[in-house]
Amino acid sequence: MIIQAFAFYLFALTAIAAGVMVISARNPVHSVLFLILAFFNAAGLFILLGAEFIAMILVIVYVGAVAVLFLFVVMMLDINFAELREGFLQYLPIGALVGIILVAELMLIFGSWVINPEAAQIIAAPSAAPAEITNTHALGRLIYTEYIYLFQAAGLVLLVAMIGAIVLTLRKRPNVRRQRISEQISRPVEDVIEIKDVPTGSGI
Amino acid sequence: MFTATIFLPLLGAIIAGFFGNRLGNRFAQLVSVLPMLASAVFSCVILFWVGFQGQSQTIHLFTWIDVGTLEISWALRFDTLTAVMVFVVTVVSAMVHVYSIGYMAQDPHIPRFMAYLSLFTFFMLALVTADNFVQMFFGWEGVGLCSYLLIGFWFQRPSANAAAIKAFIVNRIGDFGFMLGIFGVFYAFGSLDFDTVFDAVPGVAGQSFNFLGMNVDIVTTLCLLLFIGAMGKSAQIGLHTWLPDAMEGPTPVSALIHAATMVTAGVFMVVRLSPMYEFAPIALTVIVFVGASTAFFAATIGLTQWDIKRVIAYSTCSQLGYMFFAVGVGAYPAAIFHLMTHAFFKALLFLGSGSVIHGMHDEQDMRRMGGLFPKMKVTAALMWIGSLSLAGVPLFAGFYSKDIILESAFAAHTGMGLYAYWLGIAVALMTAFYSWRLLFLTFHGKTRADDQTFDEVHESPPVIIAPLLVLALGAIFSGWLAVEYFVGDQMKEFWGGSILMLNNVIEEAHHVPDWVVWLPTGMAAIGIAAAWVMYMAMPGLPKQLATAIRPVYRFVFRKWYFDELYDMIFVRPSFYLGHGLWKSGDGDVIDGVGPDGIAAATRNIAGRVGRMQSGYLYHYAFAMLIGIVGFATWFLFGFFQ
Amino acid sequence: MNLTADLMIASPELFVAIAAMFLLIFGVFQGNQSTRLVSWLGVGVMFIAAILVLAGPVGRVVAFNDLFVVDGFANFAKILLLLGAALTLILAVPFNAREGIPQFEYPVLILFAVLGMMMMVSANDLISLYLGIELQSLSLYVLAAIRRDAVRSTEAGLKYFVLGALSSGILLYGMTLVYGFAGSTGFDDLAAVFAESAGDGAPIGVIVGLVFIIAGLAFKVSAVPFHMWTPDVYEGAPTPITAFFAVAPKIAAMALFVRVMLEPFGDLFDQWQQVIWFISLASMILGSFAAINQTNIKRLMAYSSISNMGFVLVGLAAGNETGVQGVLLYLTIYLFMNVGTFACILAMRRQGRMVEDIDQLAGLSRTNPKMALALAIFMFSMAGIPPLAGFFGKLYVFLAAIEAELYTLAVIGLLTSVVGAFYYLRIVKLMYFDDPLDAFDQPVGREISTIVFGTSVVTALFAIIILVFPLLDSAANAAATLFAV
Repeated sequence: MIIQAFAFYLFALTAIAAGVMVISARNPVHSVLFLILAFFNAAGLFILLGAEFIAMILVIVYVGAVAVLFLFVVMMLDINFAELREGFLQYLPIGALVGIILVAELMLIFGSWVINPEAAQIIAAPSAAPAEITNTHALGRLIYTEYIYLFQAAGLVLLVAMIGAIVLTLRKRPNVRRQRISEQISRPVEDVIEIKDVPTGSGI
Repeated sequence: MFTATIFLPLLGAIIAGFFGNRLGNRFAQLVSVLPMLASAVFSCVILFWVGFQGQSQTIHLFTWIDVGTLEISWALRFDTLTAVMVFVVTVVSAMVHVYSIGYMAQDPHIPRFMAYLSLFTFFMLALVTADNFVQMFFGWEGVGLCSYLLIGFWFQRPSANAAAIKAFIVNRIGDFGFMLGIFGVFYAFGSLDFDTVFDAVPGVAGQSFNFLGMNVDIVTTLCLLLFIGAMGKSAQIGLHTWLPDAMEGPTPVSALIHAATMVTAGVFMVVRLSPMYEFAPIALTVIVFVGASTAFFAATIGLTQWDIKRVIAYSTCSQLGYMFFAVGVGAYPAAIFHLMTHAFFKALLFLGSGSVIHGMHDEQDMRRMGGLFPKMKVTAALMWIGSLSLAGVPLFAGFYSKDIILESAFAAHTGMGLYAYWLGIAVALMTAFYSWRLLFLTFHGKTRADDQTFDEVHESPPVIIAPLLVLALGAIFSGWLAVEYFVGDQMKEFWGGSILMLNNVIEEAHHVPDWVVWLPTGMAAIGIAAAWVMYMAMPGLPKQLATAIRPVYRFVFRKWYFDELYDMIFVRPSFYLGHGLWKSGDGDVIDGVGPDGIAAATRNIAGRVGRMQSGYLYHYAFAMLIGIVGFATWFLFGFFQ
Repeated sequence: MNLTADLMIASPELFVAIAAMFLLIFGVFQGNQSTRLVSWLGVGVMFIAAILVLAGPVGRVVAFNDLFVVDGFANFAKILLLLGAALTLILAVPFNAREGIPQFEYPVLILFAVLGMMMMVSANDLISLYLGIELQSLSLYVLAAIRRDAVRSTEAGLKYFVLGALSSGILLYGMTLVYGFAGSTGFDDLAAVFAESAGDGAPIGVIVGLVFIIAGLAFKVSAVPFHMWTPDVYEGAPTPITAFFAVAPKIAAMALFVRVMLEPFGDLFDQWQQVIWFISLASMILGSFAAINQTNIKRLMAYSSISNMGFVLVGLAAGNETGVQGVLLYLTIYLFMNVGTFACILAMRRQGRMVEDIDQLAGLSRTNPKMALALAIFMFSMAGIPPLAGFFGKLYVFLAAIEAELYTLAVIGLLTSVVGAFYYLRIVKLMYFDDPLDAFDQPVGREISTIVFGTSVVTALFAIIILVFPLLDSAANAAATLFAV
């Protein structure tokens, strides 16, 4: 139990610290690296909760794909972050004020947390006890039955995101030479190689 | 026929007014003159029936207003008083209509003029035939309106516009009193019907009510308020300033409105309300004072004026003063008698002076006239007749009516009556003087006109002269024809119930000492003689005299400084106030805060809102966050309260 | 509960989804020369979807484990948004061909956006609500930026995307708060919870969560103070997209807004009413005032739509059946007025180039009297002059406000509509009283002229239309379904 609590605070504090570093690091590459650290710690928290599937997804998708993509983008785009931050101080006072008020209010709210007494009855779609089946299995059973509608809708959202990415970025450049493999491999030898019988010693 | 008499002029006015421009000048003249003549003929018949046969009657036309306890009908009340007034109004009006054909022949707006004239006549008839206060007020305001329109008829002339506005405003001041009086009558009697009110007056007399915080006698207060209205309309001292200026209007208008009819509406009103005034002795005393003072004051001014029409205008003012003090001493029939004779001879004088002006090509200043007698004999003769009548030379109409008034004043045996009598005698002297001053300056002596003008002076055409002849007949004969009926032995039978007199002053007036009777006549003779001396025999004398008593002369010549005084007390402060209200009140405050201010504020806000839209993403995001925080805070505070 | 029945209930959505994917594949194989065909097919798809909506179940039906609901209200909103989307897609066909937007994805994305909207209005759970919104929004972000070579278009898309993401975050945050305090995301469950706890007041977390949800939804209807994106996006996006933005997403988001407020949170009416009251008021005021200084007609329409949404929110703030009926009527009228106006804007071309300056309309009555007349009808209608359609929309929402005793809101609303009348009528003044400039290009095209004609007739003769067609009754019935539960 102690170890669990220790692990929780370790992960949680590290995640928060990493989050702070993401926005405060001067070097954008460092920011992204801290972001990856934050993801890892979040994954750790999920593991503590017994949600190992989500933890793995987090690592694979966010760390493996998203964060690395960010890294590439940050490195490839020439963005002067120092310039972007120039306006930061100017708006700091009022921004801080708004932030502090918001935080104070949220503290108030969470201070008054009362679990709805009926929550136990209406809790959405209870799944089987985690001990009996694996995470993945349980998720799959819910996603493909109770929540098929949402799952499909999410799929459509992703489809639209994909279409959008293609629409906004795909360019056809007629003047660019492209490699056409099928053409390459279907070319007969005669078209490509001319065999000349060169007599030795005569030159061309 | 009764109804037709009243509404024929309206018909003429409508047709001439709305279709005159399309159908031509000749048509407009015909369509207004013919009904008017018919109306005049009818009025003679009515006078015969009602006055001499005693067939008083009230014709109920329709119910006009019926609200709660206030019920007002449109009714034509024909008693002797009305019949006399209808007779005077229609006859003079008919003559003026005919005269206008000739006088206004060159004017480009003939249909409009004829329509106004007829419309005026209709309103005047509505006034005199009124059966209740509201109908009377309708006619009262109607004639005021027409007076305004006619004074300002030559609207291209700024002075005419100013005079029209002045007439209207001064009249409105009087009307305000009149309206208050009407309200008070309704408050006190619960009705506006003449008969109902008159029946109730004896019961109310002597009671008091709260007016403007003071406990005052009801009938006296109401009578005084109504008299303010009469003062305005009849140009009595204080509210007289509009009348001389009203001479800016065309001369027929001056004759009809400002001599014969409209200005006498005040006198008529007081006489009509005699059942009320008889129970308000204080009010009558005030009337005597105002009337006598006006008579004297206007006569003095008349002595000095140079404009031929202004002299007659002040003379009118003065004669109206006579009528009022006659009313004030209780000699109502005498007042109406003088009203009638005055209508004839004053209309004659005005139209005659119009004829002179016409002949002199719109010259009105007597200093540039003189010696016109050989050129326009008929006009001069007619003017002589009018003046003789005005001055009260025996056998002419004015003699009878003026005498009975002065005798009544004397016979009243009150301090105020004597005040009126002696002022009246002085006025008789001055009247004779300025009348002959006018005649001498205009028609006799050597001409002071330049040669060309003098050569072109001509007698007026028959269409102008003919009405003058009719009026001259009235000026000569109306006195001795009517004296028996109006103020003589047959007075009681003639007037019937139309006039209430508690003390029979007229009866007593017949028994005054002989010197009282002949003094005015003597004064007239002296006045005429004095005028002859000063303007025929020794033409240099007036100037010397004026120089000798220069301050007095100036005071009188400047019309007792009434205009200047009013200008200083009322007009300028009003202008300042109006200007101030316009510039700072309306311009800065109302426009500034209202339309302009709202518009400017709108644009200002629009500009600010526009600047808020900076285009920066983080501004937008920030605005959203602030919105969220704002709402959340609002709720948290609401929640914890 | 079997899947086939659920699928039947969701058949319009299912049809749109499958058709969109089919058209996507078709387009991929045919290339950009098929854009015109794909567009018209998209219009047809929406037409069939509308028929499926009409042929769908009568009365309230839920499907997919209470995640999805179909009732009269949803059907009314779906018909409206399908109509709006179809009309604006028709407007886009000639525009895209002319202005160099060749992508066949355009109609496909519109279809996906419409699908998202249909899911929004049929959402019966916070999560399905969220997914609907995201599907819609993502399509719209792409559409705003679809002219990827134009700076303003990409800027519009980017701004919309970033702010939209922020609003999604706010929305999600609110949902988690509500879920955390109430224990459920289903609308029916939430309604039950709040009905029980209505007496002793909802937990503070729910209230704040609700505030966040309102903020997220207010962003979608572009209500003040979450409106900032609207003018920039409206101006930057290609005009047919702006027309689409102004109509269909507004209808869907407003319908969703009404449902969320009245169904799960109906018992918290006293709490949220003041927020709605405020954003309604602020929208009306800001929309009216800010529009005055605009010179670009698309920006003007953006502010106009902000103030119009303020008027619609008056009906929601009233929170009664009349109010919802007013909302639906207003949206119907708004649809026709806006589509018509944008069709006119699309006809503003001179020498082959689009002009968007309001001053360019000067003297239109002489160069193109028919279009000037139509535009004048739309402007008078938006200013709320009887007997044109816009008057009735305002009439019904303000009637509801009076019924709910929201006098301040009604009075200020009427005052702002006076301010609004200023800039609407300024356009009329420009067209009819100013010296004419060069004529716009003629002919404007069959699609545009047909739509302008149709919408202006509807707008002008609305008084007769509501007598002939049972529009008032169907709006009232649709509104009643929200209160029947």
